[in-house]
Amino acid sequence: MPSNRDADSAAIRQFVAAFADTWNSHDAHGVAMRYVEDGDFSSVKGESSHGRKELEDHYTTIFSTFLKNAHTTDTVRSIRFLAPDIASVDIDWLVTDPNAPGGVLRKGLLTWIVTKRNGQWMITIYHESTF
Amino acid sequence: MISNRLKMALAVFLFFSFSAAVSRAQTPAKMDADSAAIKQCVAAWEDAWNRHDAHATAMAYVEDGDFSSTTGVPSHGWKELEAHYNDIFTTFLKDAHRTDTVRSIRFLTPEIASVDIDWQMTGAKTRDGKDIPNRKGLLTWIVTKHNGQWMITIYHESAF
Repeated sequence: MPSNRDADSAAIRQFVAAFADTWNSHDAHGVAMRYVEDGDFSSVKGESSHGRKELEDHYTTIFSTFLKNAHTTDTVRSIRFLAPDIASVDIDWLVTDPNAPGGVLRKGLLTWIVTKRNGQWMITIYHESTF
Repeated sequence: MISNRLKMALAVFLFFSFSAAVSRAQTPAKMDADSAAIKQCVAAWEDAWNRHDAHATAMAYVEDGDFSSTTGVPSHGWKELEAHYNDIFTTFLKDAHRTDTVRSIRFLTPEIASVDIDWQMTGAKTRDGKDIPNRKGLLTWIVTKHNGQWMITIYHESAF
């Protein structure tokens, strides 16, 4: 149903914005909770974290080390529904840090698979690439 | 003497226990068969790519498939996909050879799966003609099953 799709697309965009807010407050627990319990993360180098505990550890590490002054700006590029409750989302991302050369730490594409659980969109699979 | 009602309840119980056992037994076996079929789909795509057959490489996608390059440049649908592969196979990747190794498969439904594939490439050049002896990275595909055949619906790649 197109109206559901529109509502879901809007909800997914809101979810991406909420994720960026949580990320920008460097709240490792909050970011990990945006994933489903057995969510999969893969870094720009293809290193993986699986499940909320590993995810929270991963975010705790990055927020206390090389990304401790980082700020992300995430812009949804496209959403493709694979099923009514499963979508693929492409997001242009830009990570800035006042101390980085030119102020830019990373830019590239986030590619997520999100799924709707109890009315709430969550990350099932997170991939990222830089270029 | 066992009442008819009890016999009926027992029959119903046995029927459902048996069905549950059968479906539990079938699910992993089906997933194994699908995982094998997905690995075969990846290997067939890799072969087509290594023959530099732009048409066959594009036909491994669904008709409205989505491709995104290592720099996030998209191609959508068979026509654009074939044009993209024609371009790369006649220019900076014309001597390139790739090796793809499935790292993991995650089923989102019985007919939709996410596949992570480690890739390596030799013989590649940059767009402006400089040699890149060894490229590597991760392919992340969404594959879907159509008439028993797994196909690429979304293709993302990263290089590192």
